Amino acid sequence: MSDEEHHFESSDAGASKTYPQQAGNIRKGGHIVIKGRPCKVVEVSTSKTGKHGHAKCHFVAIDIFNSKKLEDIVPSSHNCDVPHVTRTDYQLIDISEDGFVSLLTDSGGTKDDLKLPTDDSLAALMKSGFEEGKDVVVSVMCSMGEEQICAVKEVGGGK
Amino acid sequence: MEDRVFSSVHSTVFKESESLEGKCDKIEGYDFNQGVNYPKLLRSMLTTGFQASNLGEAIDVVNQMLDWRLADETVVAEDCSEEEKNPSYRESVRCKIFLGFTSNLVSSGVRDTIRYLVQHHMVDVIVTTTGGVEEDLIKCLAPTYKGDFSLPGAYLRSKGLNRIGNLLVPNDNYCKFEDWIIPIFDEMLKEQKEENVLWTPSKLLSRLGKEINNESSYLYWAYKMNIPVFCPGLTDGSLGDMLYFHSFRTSGLIIDVVQDIRAMNSEAVHATPRKTGMIILGGGLPKHHICNANMMRNGADYAVFINTGQEFDGSDSGARPDEAVSWGKIRGSAKTVKVYCDATIAFPLLVAETFASKRDQTCEPKI
Repeated sequence: MSDEEHHFESSDAGASKTYPQQAGNIRKGGHIVIKGRPCKVVEVSTSKTGKHGHAKCHFVAIDIFNSKKLEDIVPSSHNCDVPHVTRTDYQLIDISEDGFVSLLTDSGGTKDDLKLPTDDSLAALMKSGFEEGKDVVVSVMCSMGEEQICAVKEVGGGK
Repeated sequence: MEDRVFSSVHSTVFKESESLEGKCDKIEGYDFNQGVNYPKLLRSMLTTGFQASNLGEAIDVVNQMLDWRLADETVVAEDCSEEEKNPSYRESVRCKIFLGFTSNLVSSGVRDTIRYLVQHHMVDVIVTTTGGVEEDLIKCLAPTYKGDFSLPGAYLRSKGLNRIGNLLVPNDNYCKFEDWIIPIFDEMLKEQKEENVLWTPSKLLSRLGKEINNESSYLYWAYKMNIPVFCPGLTDGSLGDMLYFHSFRTSGLIIDVVQDIRAMNSEAVHATPRKTGMIILGGGLPKHHICNANMMRNGADYAVFINTGQEFDGSDSGARPDEAVSWGKIRGSAKTVKVYCDATIAFPLLVAETFASKRDQTCEPKI
């Protein structure tokens, strides 16, 4: 279980990164924080109250950023941290030599702090689409202060 | 002619027997005409036959364990120390007693008999299974109840009741145990990291005895009397489940079994010049662990087994003391008995006629 503190401020800058949810209510496909990492739950099994004490939920989850498999066992009445996970689409403007990408934000400005995704196939798709002059839109996944490009789409294209 | 056939048949059927007069004890049971005298009743078991006689012999062997002094050995070892030659020192050296028992006995009322022995430092080393530890601690948090062997499993599960023979332990008891023990593991992990404490099963059990702080617990008295409790199979029980869950919450607690096997075997090896005696209730791990340790000193001098195991399947649990002699776990010259009986019957009766009655004799006479 995470030791993260909860900041319940309403402004954007200090928005809470996680919210608590009872372990027994977290389902497969949901999200959970394990050892400080935001993860997507791939398996939940509950062992009923017995010789081992209170009923417990066993979670197997995948880190949403580095795809590592993590697991945790939590008493089902305990609260777990569930990460806020957002996906935002941006149009790709540029790919620099050192691997950084330049994205067009809604407000018309640029977002330049993201690197190419570590996933080779995604990166290759971005590069080829960009070089062919197509309109490339990337989805950026954001959770707990970390961001990563998770999907790439070609929208319309150069002929 | 018929006479000859008759006398031949007669001498076959009525073959002259060897006289046992003076060689064997006569069988004689208790006479209730003398009233209900429990000590006499128990003493009569020796001549009642079958397992009653075995129990009578076990009582004898345990009393020998308790009565032996180094001064009884007339031959003084040549290479012994000056201290060992001193007669009053020799009067003070007594037999070292290993007590082993399985967890079902701790779930039963035998736990209270065990607590009595530990409370008065009547045994020197204890070996048990994980259940033998947690059932003692849990009883301080919530009681075990009397049920029935025939209660249906599925029904009990739906009610959150766990059956141990004809005893019942509610799930809630284990929840209380979890709530009690997890913070202690947290403390222990902290001490491991900050004070470099290397925990072993026996150190953990001493700590749990200290933490439970309840006079009905034998672990509490073992802590107070500095009697080591060995549990090499510590992970195999609810306590093991707690260690498992704790490792997810805060990982890193290490429990070293190597240190404990050193300590256990040393108890036997360094017992000399004391004799060693084993009192083992049930089979399984406690029985073997104690016998094995005594093998390290070429065998125990006294052994009393009380269990219901049979030897036909070759199991160690069912093996008679004589099998242990073949391994060097018990000396050829040792006094041994196996009582084929459920220890819930045999053990309290045995303690009544040995440990408890000796203590009653030495204590202040009752007004």
